[in-house]
Amino acid sequence: MNEAGKGQRAEGKRYRQLTPEILWAGCMVLFSFFAITISAHAMSGREVYGKVHEVRSKMLDRKTEVTMVLFDKGGGKRTRTLVEYGKKAEPEAYKVLVVFKSPPDLKDVGFLMFAHTFADRDLWAYFPEYKRVRRIPTTSQDDSFFGSDFTYDDFGGPPNLDDYKFSILKEESFDGRACYVVEVTPKIRRKYTRYIVWVAKDLWVHLKIDYYQDKEIYRTGVFRNIKIIEGIPTPLFLTVENRKTGHRTELTIESIKYHTHFTDDLFTQRSLERAGK
Amino acid sequence: MRGDPRDCPDDMRTCDDGKQKVCPYGKIVICMKKQLVTVILLLFSSSACLAGDFLSISGRLDLLGVVALESDSIMEDPSFTGRLKIDTPPSKWSLHSWLEGGWDGSVKLPAKDHSLLKLYDEVYQSNTPWLEFKEFYLSFSAKDLELRAGVQRYSWGRLDEYPINDLLNPWDYTRFILRTLEDRKIGAPSLSANLNKDNWSLDAVWIPRFVPYRLAMPDERWSGVPGISALLHIPNAEVIPDEPNLPSRTFNNGVFGLRVRHAGEIEWALNFFHGYDPRPVVKTTSLVINPQPGKVLVDAGYVPDFHKMTSIGMDAAAVKGDCSLRAETAYSFNRWFNTRQELWGYPPSPGPGVFPLNPNEHKSDTLDYGVAADYRIIEDVLLTMQAQQTVVIHRPDTLYVRQFETLLWANLKVFWMNQKVETNLNLAYNPEHGDGMAKANAWYIFTDSWKAGLMMVVFTGPPQSMFGRFSKNDQVEAELVYSW
Repeated sequence: MNEAGKGQRAEGKRYRQLTPEILWAGCMVLFSFFAITISAHAMSGREVYGKVHEVRSKMLDRKTEVTMVLFDKGGGKRTRTLVEYGKKAEPEAYKVLVVFKSPPDLKDVGFLMFAHTFADRDLWAYFPEYKRVRRIPTTSQDDSFFGSDFTYDDFGGPPNLDDYKFSILKEESFDGRACYVVEVTPKIRRKYTRYIVWVAKDLWVHLKIDYYQDKEIYRTGVFRNIKIIEGIPTPLFLTVENRKTGHRTELTIESIKYHTHFTDDLFTQRSLERAGK
Repeated sequence: MRGDPRDCPDDMRTCDDGKQKVCPYGKIVICMKKQLVTVILLLFSSSACLAGDFLSISGRLDLLGVVALESDSIMEDPSFTGRLKIDTPPSKWSLHSWLEGGWDGSVKLPAKDHSLLKLYDEVYQSNTPWLEFKEFYLSFSAKDLELRAGVQRYSWGRLDEYPINDLLNPWDYTRFILRTLEDRKIGAPSLSANLNKDNWSLDAVWIPRFVPYRLAMPDERWSGVPGISALLHIPNAEVIPDEPNLPSRTFNNGVFGLRVRHAGEIEWALNFFHGYDPRPVVKTTSLVINPQPGKVLVDAGYVPDFHKMTSIGMDAAAVKGDCSLRAETAYSFNRWFNTRQELWGYPPSPGPGVFPLNPNEHKSDTLDYGVAADYRIIEDVLLTMQAQQTVVIHRPDTLYVRQFETLLWANLKVFWMNQKVETNLNLAYNPEHGDGMAKANAWYIFTDSWKAGLMMVVFTGPPQSMFGRFSKNDQVEAELVYSW
């Protein structure tokens, strides 16, 4: 073997010996980059949503009177008024009863949600015209809520965090408030394949949500007029717009009372049939 | 005792200047009816102003026009219906009232029955204008208990259209089943109790006085008795319905129902019913053809009949994936059925005279069962499918119904434009007799108060079958609704 050949082998050996070091160094650089990125956000997406979950859990014990106005693309509008009763039960169960007060066609129509856990809930609907309570498959939770741009899910409690993946995309302000912009992806395929959510850093409430179906935004929800009511930050004016049809729904909370501690009698099928009376 | 205004002289059928005139034969105060109608209309129109903190008032006005697609079928005039619901605020004691009234275009004029209020003493309540308390009851609510007394309608069972265990309220068949199930039900004066504890619920109902079902007059559009069609072709025939002698109004002839429900992953209920079968059956008498000057009076030779029965049943509901499943079953003791009409003994070419007819009823136990599924195809598109069957346990060959009678239903409901438009396609089919009904409707909601709908219904099948008896009644309906 000549010197040149020895030198080449030596270089080759040196090269092979250096490879893990280079890789290690590369990993360290990448790790540092991610570490810097994460530390820049201070919190993970999951932690942000842990805070949101905490606030939404506090909202569960309540009575809310709501006006919902549905706007057509052509300018026509329909108005619905409804009352929502909620009750939190430890550790993570909750119950919700919603009853329509108007329009006349929907008066006393109601639905009852009984969540055994945040991940497992039953739904019932009652239509006075048929005098019957019907079970609704939970797969309907993303369906339109009586023609509005809200869904049944919007009237439920907070989601089960383990059913979603969260990642912070950026930080920016919305409506003058500093926000985390979080991408939320359901682990099981649902109507909306992902959500981009603006979460207020100081209040841990949603300010805006873009609901995606694959790559396209299907609807957008904006939460405004946030007031602190009985210690709980509460958006009193919500708008949801269907970006595909141009249909829009505005929801105004006319009155809200927290810490209501309703009895379980209010959240039964009998109560649903009697419009919560 | 009510009289037939057609028996009154012409000047006694009308009223001038608000003066009351009494038909000397029937003691009917005709003018009073017009005044009452005026008062009710005023009440309807001013009810929105009356609503406030004390009362919850809502109402609905409904204008219906019918175009018959068969030129030789009995025609129907436009109808107008008003509905007024009044509730006192929720409290321990509360009052609920649901009053309906209006002009019934399906009634053949001049109307036979000139009482304004629909009562519980006649099967043939051919009256227009009319008023009826669909519901009117007083409630007492305690923690787990609710008691109600008054005119009530009940919804037991789980199936649509013909729930097997839903027997407490007799039906008004004067528009067959074109009205919704709840609209068909006649409110019954009754006492009810509902006891709730955890996931259990107990309902007890007692209807102390017998309430009969209602049928259209034999010469009205929805009479549905095919055997008399030949009689209607007699020139100037006037078919007089034979009003039955109702079972005596004693407590023994009341209706009793009991229902125990359990809510859970699978919801289920046990039902018990004892009382008169609410499903119509008729008893033959004698065909009478009596020529009179200018007309021929015809007694078609049958009279509605009533029989006590006992039914024990069960129903259940559950959710599986995208499907909401429902099921019902019941065993009934002592149900009665009619024989085939060709065995009733009608003469082949009827002429003047009296023709005694053959007995036409037979008793048997029955077993009913059915399943239904609501399946959400996509958002705003709901398909409901239902299959139910009646087994006549002791069936002689003379009965029209087969030992197994099947009824298949399908309904496709689609909402459009954020539920501004609703369309329904409803199909019913009985494979044993090959009869069926297809119904399609569309509703457009203009505003929170105004909506309009179009409906087309088509019947087919042999003349004695459930749907085939209305095979000349294909029609298009247009409806305009104002609600507040």
